[in-house]
Amino acid sequence: MLIEDWYVYAAILLLALCSVITRAGYFLFGHLVPLPDRVRSALRYAPLAALTAIIVPEVLPWSAQHGPVLDLKLVAAIVSIWVFQRTRSALLLIVSGMLALWLMRWIASF
Amino acid sequence: MRAQRIAAMRDGCRAVSPGLLALTVWGVVTGVAMVKSGLAEHTAVVMSLLVYAGSAQLTSLPLIMAGAPLWLIFAAGTVVNLRFIIFGAALHPYFKNMRWPKRLLMGYLSVDVAFVVFMPRFSDAPQKGTLEQHWFYLGALVSSWTVWQVTSIAGIALGSFVPSTWSLDFAAILALIAMMMPLVSNKPILVAILAAGVVAWLTQMWPLRLGLIAAVLAGSAAGMWAEKVFRKGRV
Repeated sequence: MLIEDWYVYAAILLLALCSVITRAGYFLFGHLVPLPDRVRSALRYAPLAALTAIIVPEVLPWSAQHGPVLDLKLVAAIVSIWVFQRTRSALLLIVSGMLALWLMRWIASF
Repeated sequence: MRAQRIAAMRDGCRAVSPGLLALTVWGVVTGVAMVKSGLAEHTAVVMSLLVYAGSAQLTSLPLIMAGAPLWLIFAAGTVVNLRFIIFGAALHPYFKNMRWPKRLLMGYLSVDVAFVVFMPRFSDAPQKGTLEQHWFYLGALVSSWTVWQVTSIAGIALGSFVPSTWSLDFAAILALIAMMMPLVSNKPILVAILAAGVVAWLTQMWPLRLGLIAAVLAGSAAGMWAEKVFRKGRV
């Protein structure tokens, strides 16, 4: 798919604006806006939900013709989570997930 | 005075150094992922320099490639960055005595690793807003920024040499998982993730990845509902 330059740069500028608003907002205007505890607890769930919503379609994709598909990436992701549970290492999570994907693709190619 | 500032800044650099290892991995992965997703190298460098937010960058890549509307990219970036609002609220008392251009700069450069070393060290400080605190934080911020940009640009350079068949863009998804894992600390959070996951799975054929909004709403609502239920029932 061809993506146009102006679209990508507009996205980059908007994301830069996100960084400024969310990070510097309280530094600049914190004296005007108190953050109640209830809002604080609601703010805990939204980022995790958004990250989940980005990850799920990548590891559990649907194809337009066949509906839900089982992808090797799902297995690789499960392996990497298991490794993280044992080691608590983000680096090992990434490495093991990639190795698992490559290994399974290599086996599947026979 | 000058010696004190330099000493505080050096303390900040030293305190943040374990976090710099994490930033190195993230920086390289983000750099590679930007190029492997299809961004031109110079565009990826501009993104790294201006946005300076790994999770928001990685989140935006699938959306940009799908041609999602700009408002959705902005909304997704904001939601993923919401944690910074909580950081900002906690840090605000320490910096409110600075002039606004400095507050703007310090705020914009704020990242997780710097926040994580600053708060435990100064949370019991009798006086908030001292020069030591400002320069300590600045030291942590400057070293984080430098390490991030260098490793991210190295990743962009590396990304152009790695063949696409290696699927290194999947490393970006793994990095997002790595970011989530330590945060899954109680049942309401798990409920929120499950709800968001189910909704995201069911809605992924929606056009322009608008299912993202449905998943965020469902996840947040489920999390707050579960918090209430678990508190009442003490399950």
